[in-house]
Amino acid sequence: MSAKNEYAKPGEYKPIDLLAVAAAREVRDGDVVFAGTGLPMLAIMLAQLSHAPNAVCIYEAGSIDGRPIDLPTSVGDARCAYQAAMAAGLTEAFYGQLHNGYVDLGFLGGAEIDKYGNVNTTVVGNYASPKKRFTGSGGNPDINSLARRSVYIMVQEKRRFKEHVDYITSPGWRIKKWPSGEWAHRKDVYHKYFRGGIEAVITNMGVFRFDEQGIMYLDTVHPGFSAEDVKNNVDFDLNISRVSGETKPPTYLDIELLYTKVDPEGIFLP
Amino acid sequence: MGKPERITLQEAASLIKDGDLLTFSGFTIWRRPMALVYELVRQGKKNLHLFEVNGGTHTEVLAGAGCIKIWESCWVGHELYGKLGELVAARQVKGTIITEDYSHAQCVARLLAGAYGIPFFPTALSMGTDILNPEFDMLGKAGLRDGSNPKIPLKKYDMIEDPFYNMGELLLMPAVNPNWALIYASQVGDEGTVRVNAQTYTDIEAIKAADKVIVLAEEIVPDSYLRQEPKLNIATGYAIDYVVELPWAAHPTGSQGYYDVDADFIRAFYSASKSQEGFDKWADEWIFGVKNHEEYLAKLGITRLEKLRANSALGYSRRVKRGTR
Repeated sequence: MSAKNEYAKPGEYKPIDLLAVAAAREVRDGDVVFAGTGLPMLAIMLAQLSHAPNAVCIYEAGSIDGRPIDLPTSVGDARCAYQAAMAAGLTEAFYGQLHNGYVDLGFLGGAEIDKYGNVNTTVVGNYASPKKRFTGSGGNPDINSLARRSVYIMVQEKRRFKEHVDYITSPGWRIKKWPSGEWAHRKDVYHKYFRGGIEAVITNMGVFRFDEQGIMYLDTVHPGFSAEDVKNNVDFDLNISRVSGETKPPTYLDIELLYTKVDPEGIFLP
Repeated sequence: MGKPERITLQEAASLIKDGDLLTFSGFTIWRRPMALVYELVRQGKKNLHLFEVNGGTHTEVLAGAGCIKIWESCWVGHELYGKLGELVAARQVKGTIITEDYSHAQCVARLLAGAYGIPFFPTALSMGTDILNPEFDMLGKAGLRDGSNPKIPLKKYDMIEDPFYNMGELLLMPAVNPNWALIYASQVGDEGTVRVNAQTYTDIEAIKAADKVIVLAEEIVPDSYLRQEPKLNIATGYAIDYVVELPWAAHPTGSQGYYDVDADFIRAFYSASKSQEGFDKWADEWIFGVKNHEEYLAKLGITRLEKLRANSALGYSRRVKRGTR
């Protein structure tokens, strides 16, 4: 009976399962979570079904504390608003909830990140004459700027973990103060609106956190990888001196919930 | 003021002039006025200026057809069904569309100011990002912030030291008042009262901010019916100028309570959108190859549409296959 709470062994889960589970563990019971599309949705729903039943979820299209019975495929999805406390709009989500200060945790993704946690989802190359355009910011920088904590879920690749990103779409710990463009700590840009910032980055290889100077370090390594493996997939000089151990794998219950309750249709978990 | 005028889809599109500033209802791939977007392409509109809180499949259709000159927004893609806005991206890289990026909530701030008749809206969201880099003020760089176009603000944004509570520096986002809001709504009353189901997105703000408003209505119903539950309505008839009654007008985007997103259709569009040749072929088939919206629906076929039809209790379809299981 208690076997469900035991950790699954390597080979009994997919890398994406661990990504969703590690992200879900960042949710604290009672958190007001503002989540983006994709894995962040799986993570908040799994957290609500396991250790954080009192966490609530806001999506930027305007659903406030929805209780979806079918997994939404995007934040504008009709499914997000099922049994919601409010089906409102973006003004409520961004200003009535986020700017106002209700949001504890922002759950996001990104294409590129630097060692200060600055994220790029806009362009490759110079913005004025780019080599390639991504989707653009969406609500990523908004959620990340005024949530008390934010967590990013990303793919681990050397070209994505860079010394400097080509364009700061979403603000990390050291950012640019405009119009001069000088680098400053996030506190010195947000002043009394400073509420916290990027707390963790979760990839398919490990979990990263940020030190007192706002610089990324490796916290835990997923089973099957070494700290050196992770370092080799980062383009800046990653601090691996603070590794606290191995990331706990999913439990059998986590996997069951993911595949039978959260994403039974195989939308994000093929 | 007064009741909106009932017109045809062709008449609605013919009201839009080359160079006009447009905004839209909906959110990414939900509740977009797609039938009107197709008709704008059929009528060969040029140099359109789009301000949209977020883009989607409709943006890509207009970009591929060469209708857009300026795109001010924060995001374009097709959600799960196509991860990039390939046609906008290709034109940004080539420099044939002027792209001005704001954050999502900064776009909302601009539309809110426009909706409420105030010149700007303050926000602390997305400070410290390259969105605010003066080098990346693309309308400024193009010399378009000289006041000659009343729809383009003199600055991309400004900053102010909070004068009341010493909260520090905040951003001021300039109002936007588009020439047109092109809206898709679930129900419009015979006196013009507007209702949408579930999330309202920025539909309310888009209607109020625009000089003129065209609504494609899934159905026209007696106003007395909508007035039984006024709290569910989002706009008054006197805010709306023109109404076109057109079932399935948001296809392939979704409409809560009526139909789901047509994922296969958008996936096929996205594949085609990876090259201009691909888009042109797609447009020949789905825009120029059909005379009007009725032919478009006939081409889609009843079986396909019935699969998308929303469950009346849930507001979305459970007959569409969405994943691998």
